[in-house]
Amino acid sequence: MAIDRRRPKPSRRSHFVIRETLLLLFLLLICAPSPSSSSSSSSSSMHNNNWAVLVCTSRFWFNYRHMANTLSLYRTVKRLGIPDERIILMLADDMACNARNTYPAQVFNNENHQLNLYGDNVEVDYRGYEVTVENFLRVLTGRHDSAVPRSKRLLSDEGSHILLYMTGHGGDEFLKFQDSEELQSHDLADVVKQMKEKNRFKELLIMVDTCQAATLFSQLNSPGVLAIGSSMKGENSYSHHLDSDIGVSVVDRFTFYTLTFFEKLNMYSNASLNSLFASYNPTLLMSTAYYRTDLYERPLNEDRSCSSYEWLKVLQDRLADEKSDTIVMYGLGTMILLLTVSTWLST
Amino acid sequence: MASLRPLSRGPFLLLLIFFVFSLSLLRPIQGNGGSDGGGGGEEFSEELLLKPLPDRKVLAHFHFRSAAPPSAANGRHHHLFPKAIAQLVQKFQIRELELSFTQGRWNYERWGGSDPISTRNAKPPGVELWALFDLPTEEIDPTWKNLTHALSGLFCASINFLESPTAYSSPYWGFLSNNGNLRYGALPREAVCTENLTPWLKILPCRDKAGIASLLYRPSIYKGYYHSQRLRLLSSESKGIILEQTLTVVLQPNSYTSSLLSSSDAQLQPSWSLSQLFKKEMTGKCVLAKSSKIFLELERGLLEKIVEIRDDSWIGKFDGQVGSSLYEYKVDNSNENKPLDVGITWKLPLVWSSVHAPFQASRFLMGSGNERGSIAISLQSTQTHDQYFGDLNDCTVPVIVLQVVPWYVKVYYHTLQISIDGKPQTLSDVIEKIQVTPSEDKLLPGTLEIMLRFPCSMLSATLSLDFDKDSYTLTNILQMSYPDYDVSDDSSLLHNLQEKYLVRSYTEVLLVPLTTPDFSMPYNVITFTCTVLALYFGSLLNVLRGGLVRREIISQKDSARPGLVPLYFLGYLPAKE
Repeated sequence: MAIDRRRPKPSRRSHFVIRETLLLLFLLLICAPSPSSSSSSSSSSMHNNNWAVLVCTSRFWFNYRHMANTLSLYRTVKRLGIPDERIILMLADDMACNARNTYPAQVFNNENHQLNLYGDNVEVDYRGYEVTVENFLRVLTGRHDSAVPRSKRLLSDEGSHILLYMTGHGGDEFLKFQDSEELQSHDLADVVKQMKEKNRFKELLIMVDTCQAATLFSQLNSPGVLAIGSSMKGENSYSHHLDSDIGVSVVDRFTFYTLTFFEKLNMYSNASLNSLFASYNPTLLMSTAYYRTDLYERPLNEDRSCSSYEWLKVLQDRLADEKSDTIVMYGLGTMILLLTVSTWLST
Repeated sequence: MASLRPLSRGPFLLLLIFFVFSLSLLRPIQGNGGSDGGGGGEEFSEELLLKPLPDRKVLAHFHFRSAAPPSAANGRHHHLFPKAIAQLVQKFQIRELELSFTQGRWNYERWGGSDPISTRNAKPPGVELWALFDLPTEEIDPTWKNLTHALSGLFCASINFLESPTAYSSPYWGFLSNNGNLRYGALPREAVCTENLTPWLKILPCRDKAGIASLLYRPSIYKGYYHSQRLRLLSSESKGIILEQTLTVVLQPNSYTSSLLSSSDAQLQPSWSLSQLFKKEMTGKCVLAKSSKIFLELERGLLEKIVEIRDDSWIGKFDGQVGSSLYEYKVDNSNENKPLDVGITWKLPLVWSSVHAPFQASRFLMGSGNERGSIAISLQSTQTHDQYFGDLNDCTVPVIVLQVVPWYVKVYYHTLQISIDGKPQTLSDVIEKIQVTPSEDKLLPGTLEIMLRFPCSMLSATLSLDFDKDSYTLTNILQMSYPDYDVSDDSSLLHNLQEKYLVRSYTEVLLVPLTTPDFSMPYNVITFTCTVLALYFGSLLNVLRGGLVRREIISQKDSARPGLVPLYFLGYLPAKE
């Protein structure tokens, strides 16, 4: 009888414990895959990858500084964590191995020649005569011939933050490509609109370093876009200094001061866009750096744990990659272990 | 305690089962060691050949070889062999492929034209791609297009410009004997720089971090007089895939120790070593390499008298082709404390010349004007007959010439003329076999494959073809492809440095200035038209407005006005109201 009385009690308790643990495990299994999945709605989509599209549109030796501008940004973007697979680099001419370059395979952005921007591991996706307005627009909209390889495509999605940097010669509402064609501001606005419709970006930062740069993004009207130009309508953008050894100017002022700002940062810094804008001095730039924030929803001076420079933040990017499966499995294992221990202790 | 056991057993068991299950899920993530079939049997070897050249330069030839055994399954795991290349071979059904990126011109006169290095590594400047496919003929052209795009993404070059049929040709037997499945294309203006070397090195198992590839200091390579990186693939059912990557660089060592000897004009050749040439040291081999060797090639008999080898840890000496000796060094013995620094020091000045190919080929334009011209290919004999041909009187040399010309240079193949030693010849005497694929406007380039038989004793031969220049709308001066010729040595093409081979040379790239439109014509037309219209309408308006009245002007002496213009010249005066 004592045994009979004891039996229902343990069975009820064991049932309860079994149910509880099953419920907990079930909840775990649901929650586990969630960090690695991205939500479908664009407004609540999470930022999980960064892309950079860096375009140099000028050719000829005397436009060395445009190449140096783009390569400086390339180096900065790589240093701050975006890998080559997420960078589309378009260089309209070859400066490093140009016959007029007395320093073969080296490109400098300063006359002290301390930093070789070309380095050992540069990967150029579009070069030479491939840098055309058509290819540029194809990259941004994602409309390629089926034969085009993956490394030449911008494979961004609704959780991407994209940096688009363009440099070269420009004017009122246009940017010159290769000395033979132009990209106009309404073309750019249309492309950005298409990108937004196709959910190809969450936030887009456009930086333009040309003469009258601000006119190039005057027609933009898609949300989530931030644009910075080196000069306003009617103003020219100037080069910073001449390198008498190489014989041409090696960097533009706007890019030079942008780089001095970024050289102070590393991958884990929390910097805000407002501090970048504040760092531009119109006297030093010899032009007015103009930025357009009306299309950008978040306030620029927020310093949050996900910094406003979404494309500086790497940790979330890493979590979105293959390693997330390992982390999840390890987490699951640890939790089961803890659960086992706690169950054994509680009984 | 006894009561705890039945309570904790149930959930505890369940949790244990879950734990074991999760562990089994973890294992495939961790256990990717490549031990599951297909990883074995792959091998990788690396070699470097150093050779002084007669004009004070040094040739450095890097050779990397990867082999993957054949596998029955489509998907496979790779241990050493690059997966990107294996996928390329499998997707496009490639039997053979060669892709070369070259900057500079191989100087056949000074650096030699007949040794295996120059035959296989002297490439035309720019990008050259040819491929043999294992597919039916109608599928080859779309596959070629996809292949060019895939390679352009892989090697950061504009190889996709070869996709259109105007950019590539399919020679029947002029380049390699094939049965219609060969495609050949070249881009002479393509720049070659670090971005092409980066993915090429990423294919190697040790990349450029360890082994011989760690010597590749980019500014040194791109400062050279000639650099050519080449990738060659051979795939077969029986042997699997063999991938050969070579980088040939001709460098000028900066040697401040060379001094002028007062007795003669001869200057001491520059002494050099690996650390001087590449600014880096050889500190160990790539651990994944089956063998890692450095060879030093010197003309036989130079050692002990004229040249001193700096590092005498060579382990073997072989006989190379055409009178040279190869000294072999093993890289395994070197490490960071004891780097391997191969080099030579010249003790006495020496002037020598490399072995030339039997013929020196060059190509140039004849004629003047913007309408037509002629292309001429000249073959100069280099007086090296005794090395190639036995008896001069009774022998003939077979020469194959391949020439690919874009469609905008319209070549008239019926105007082909051949002259030997200045005397024009009958074509049927000299030509053994000829194959012409004429160009089609905007569709196909023109291909000429011709096999000629020349007497061994001849000094020079010239082929010429007339062409018309198309008035092309582009203002750029465009370049053409270039021919090459083969002198068959009566044996098949083999890979070893010590065996017989086919001699192949390329001529220089030919620059054809095409007619550019006369840009002053619109201005001229506007000016002339406006002048004519002004004269016509002006006079018409004058007549219509009030007419012109003819007046007689009576000159009066007393009332001679002091006007300077004689009024009787003005036959017509406008009427006054």
